[in-house]
Amino acid sequence: MKLLTHNLLSSHVRGVGPRGFPLRLQATEVRINPVEFNPEFVARMIPKVEWAALLEAADTLHLVEVPTEPIEGYEHDEKFLRRMHHVLLEVDVLEGTLQCPESGRLFPISRGIPNMLLSDEETET
Amino acid sequence: MKISGFILIAPVFLFLFLFLFCVCVCVCVSKSLVVANGGLGNGVSRRQLLPVLEKCGPVDALLMPPNKPYSFVRYTTAEEAKKAYVTLNGKEIVDDLGQKIVLYLNFVEKAQWKEVGLQALPPGLMVVEEIISSEDEKMLLESINWTEDTDNQNVQKSLKHRRVKHFGYEFHYENNNIDRGRPLPGGLPDTCDSILEKWLKEGFIKHKPDQLTVNQYEPGHGIPAHIDTHSAFEDEIVSLSLGSEVVMDFKHPDGVTVPVMLPRRSLLVMTGESRYLWTHGITPRKFDTVQASKGHKSGIITSDVGDLTLSKRGIRTSFTFRKVRQTPCNCSYSLVCDSQMKETPPSFPESDREASQLEQEYVHRVYEEIAGHFSSTRHTPWPHVVEFLKALPSGSLVADVGCGNGKYLGINKELYMIGCDRSQGLVDICRERHLPALVCDALAVPIRSGACDACISVAVIHHFATAERRVAALQELVRLLRPGGRALVYVWAMEQEYKKKKSKYLRENRMSPRKGEEVCRGTSGPQVSVAQPPGPGRPGPASGLSSLSDCQQGGRNSRDVTKSQLPVHTNRTSFHSQDLLVPWHLKGKPGKDRPAEPGGAGGSHGPSPVFHRFYHVFREGELEAACRALSDVRVLRSCYDQGNWCVILEKV
Repeated sequence: MKLLTHNLLSSHVRGVGPRGFPLRLQATEVRINPVEFNPEFVARMIPKVEWAALLEAADTLHLVEVPTEPIEGYEHDEKFLRRMHHVLLEVDVLEGTLQCPESGRLFPISRGIPNMLLSDEETET
Repeated sequence: MKISGFILIAPVFLFLFLFLFCVCVCVCVSKSLVVANGGLGNGVSRRQLLPVLEKCGPVDALLMPPNKPYSFVRYTTAEEAKKAYVTLNGKEIVDDLGQKIVLYLNFVEKAQWKEVGLQALPPGLMVVEEIISSEDEKMLLESINWTEDTDNQNVQKSLKHRRVKHFGYEFHYENNNIDRGRPLPGGLPDTCDSILEKWLKEGFIKHKPDQLTVNQYEPGHGIPAHIDTHSAFEDEIVSLSLGSEVVMDFKHPDGVTVPVMLPRRSLLVMTGESRYLWTHGITPRKFDTVQASKGHKSGIITSDVGDLTLSKRGIRTSFTFRKVRQTPCNCSYSLVCDSQMKETPPSFPESDREASQLEQEYVHRVYEEIAGHFSSTRHTPWPHVVEFLKALPSGSLVADVGCGNGKYLGINKELYMIGCDRSQGLVDICRERHLPALVCDALAVPIRSGACDACISVAVIHHFATAERRVAALQELVRLLRPGGRALVYVWAMEQEYKKKKSKYLRENRMSPRKGEEVCRGTSGPQVSVAQPPGPGRPGPASGLSSLSDCQQGGRNSRDVTKSQLPVHTNRTSFHSQDLLVPWHLKGKPGKDRPAEPGGAGGSHGPSPVFHRFYHVFREGELEAACRALSDVRVLRSCYDQGNWCVILEKV
């Protein structure tokens, strides 16, 4: 599971609504996967990222390189973009858990795949 | 048996007993007596009775038949017997529960009891004694947190029921089955890991279990006789007894019952016949009849009445470890096998819950079984979907809800696409291809609202069994979109011939299956007959659900007035009903995506397995109407494409 994906995930346990974001990440196995760098692509991702959630996740994984917010003129700052490319797209959590911050419900990540299935009682419908 | 009641009728009972068992009552003296009220069946143990009888002289034999309210004593001399007759008649003793019992004695010609033939343990059954230490027993008992689920606790206590806790997978008592798609987070407790490894290493078990049920029985609790559902669990089922021993009864369908002692800290291993054919259960009572000489050792409780006594039960906790089946059961005991016994054919669901169950059985489970084969037939991306994806701006975030094998996830490298699918098997395939995907339900997509620039949902929504659920799935797609974001939805059309043109699906009747790409494909096979009459239906009107057009009314019985059976479709023919089951003939390597044939080493042994998938095929305009029912949506485009209805909508 890449950190960009984690940044989009939210818990769907009944009653939590927007308080189900962000999911607390805990990783027991992480791998770095090289991905071809596309600066334009990364630049377009930046405004879509929930920064606080990304910082928290990066912190959990002890990734020291994440700046506290996107810098001015980031679209042309290759160094910044490369760093974000690495954090968002090259870090892959293989084993761990995602925890709903409101309900405490744990979702497993196994072989890189988060399993977000809820039982009937837990869903919001 | 109530003691007090028995005492009142004892003289009557004694008379009846003598009559029934044709033992002649002699006024003349013999060495043997019957001791009425002094039986295992009314709470008197050997331990209590023997000393009382021995006061009159050495006892040659004390025969205590199980569950009977009397026993037989044989003294070495007639003198002693006479002394017993005189002094012990009317003697009051106290049973194990502290209740007063009055003994009545009379002479019998011979003290004997017809013995049942030699019994053997059910085949495949083994009891391993002292498999864990006392420390480990204590540790395991303490590791279970019973207080977590207080609501359930109260329910169980008020029902005077045993306490139950599950790990790994939830076991559902309504249908005695496992919810395969919903593993419980946390898996098995850490405390069990080393113990299971040890058992594997030492050969007590052959497979690593992934499900654990902890049962706690207080004296008086039991569990009705049952066979663990074949389709839920693999062959080997093991149960660890902690805290107290118990006698478990195994019954063969022919009527033979074998009571087996499970000592404390022993492991019961059930395989083969003992797992698949014999039922096992624990009688709810406070005492078990056990063998006096064997003490607490395992084994069959003998029918040698000269060696039986009572054992008071304590609180027993069992840890039952099982491995969840991922493929249907193919044991040789088909009469008791739920996988092999033809199930009640499914009917049109009348509630959301029924719809969910129908989907579980006829969509989710099937895709898990056929994942590999299914994926191999899904290789060609549909041109219009590709077109939609390629037209999106670089850097768009796109969700593919119901991504299957990830066919569309890598089409446009300028996009960040996340795949979601209900099937772990299919998501695994995405992962193998290095395509990001996660497991979730399309009705509860775990992506934050408004995060997506676009969504696609190709051949997914037609698997939902009610109109409400189909609309809810559409609503989820819309929720994911940012304002101005677009979604592309494809569903199978009822009209397979449109504007005088037949779809590829129809045209490929009887052709080899590898050609082309269809929405839902199976090989052209014979129509699978759904033979049985419908099962017990629940009376009541169908709630306001989508109208059934031409839905065939299956065989109705008197109890089942309103339920209509879902018809099974013949592949590569026109649809005659909107709600139906479509067969999938599974092909491929055995083991991975096909249940292993009995005794087989690969290769086919007969026809390939057929799976039925539920579909609701859409009529012209139906998908569009469903989209328009959503509040924040604008339909941009609506068209027919190769046997499918397609819609592009935009969030306003």
